[in-house]
Amino acid sequence: MGREVAESCVDTMLMEMVAMFSGRFYANKPELAARRIEAIGYQVGHQLSERYTMERPRFSDHLEAIKFICKDFWSEVFKKQIDNLKTNHRGTFVLQDNKFRWLSRVSIDPSSEKETEDPSTPGESKAAQAVSMYLYFPCGIIRGVLSNLGIPCAVSADISSLPTCSFVIRVKA
Amino acid sequence: MASTACFIIVGRNDIPIYEAEVGSAAKREDAAQLHQFILHAALDVVQDLAWTTSAMFLKSVDRFNDLVVSVYVTAGHTRLMLLHDSRNEDGIKSFFQEVHELYIKILLNPLYLPGSRITSTHFDTKVRALARKYL
Repeated sequence: MGREVAESCVDTMLMEMVAMFSGRFYANKPELAARRIEAIGYQVGHQLSERYTMERPRFSDHLEAIKFICKDFWSEVFKKQIDNLKTNHRGTFVLQDNKFRWLSRVSIDPSSEKETEDPSTPGESKAAQAVSMYLYFPCGIIRGVLSNLGIPCAVSADISSLPTCSFVIRVKA
Repeated sequence: MASTACFIIVGRNDIPIYEAEVGSAAKREDAAQLHQFILHAALDVVQDLAWTTSAMFLKSVDRFNDLVVSVYVTAGHTRLMLLHDSRNEDGIKSFFQEVHELYIKILLNPLYLPGSRITSTHFDTKVRALARKYL
């Protein structure tokens, strides 16, 4: 059903989308830009979930759906599987990807930050904030996939150590 | 070829998003309404049955006189329901799979709001052609 596209096109499109929304459309309102990007991700996730669940049998519970995301869905979208899945069996799942593909080209220079800025001031969070803009899209995708499978949830991302990226899914019971 | 067949697609919030009479017999007004009524009444049975199995094709879930209701449920809980009087299960399964592909193509349209009515005439033509081919 799909045709093939060079991966560099996908990378460029993602960078341009984040740059456009956070630089041009909502220049001084990063929260609004984040919400728009997440909404786009939601619709994409919705459509992708229908496409990728076509051949396989349906899911019997939440854990099955999350495992589908970790294995089949992640390998279709990012060409690898999730490296670590943790759950507290009470509706929270943590998906850890040790080398998140869309962040593999992002560079944060830790040495210059430690010397010139105090770690607790906005200096470090500005870099973290810039990187986190790129994570709203995959969070939206995950939220879209789960909503379409009947699991309303909230997804957030955690980048305490690049290139490892963790996505925290909280199922709304 | 089935002489009577009524096909509807019901979204996840139980609102029908597509309806079509695809039988080859002449269409009668009261029969069309009766068919839709039977299909909507079968929704409760489908609801219970859908959670018992992880397969997509639920075969025949309900009967009325000599008409049988067959249902195919997608992962997003969209139900494709067919009311028919034929016994050709393989044909019906292939029909459902092809319509599922068409439905995914509609969903991939960024201007389509999921859960709204499908108004594309292209989709309609294709579904009728598939019905003639498989039913």
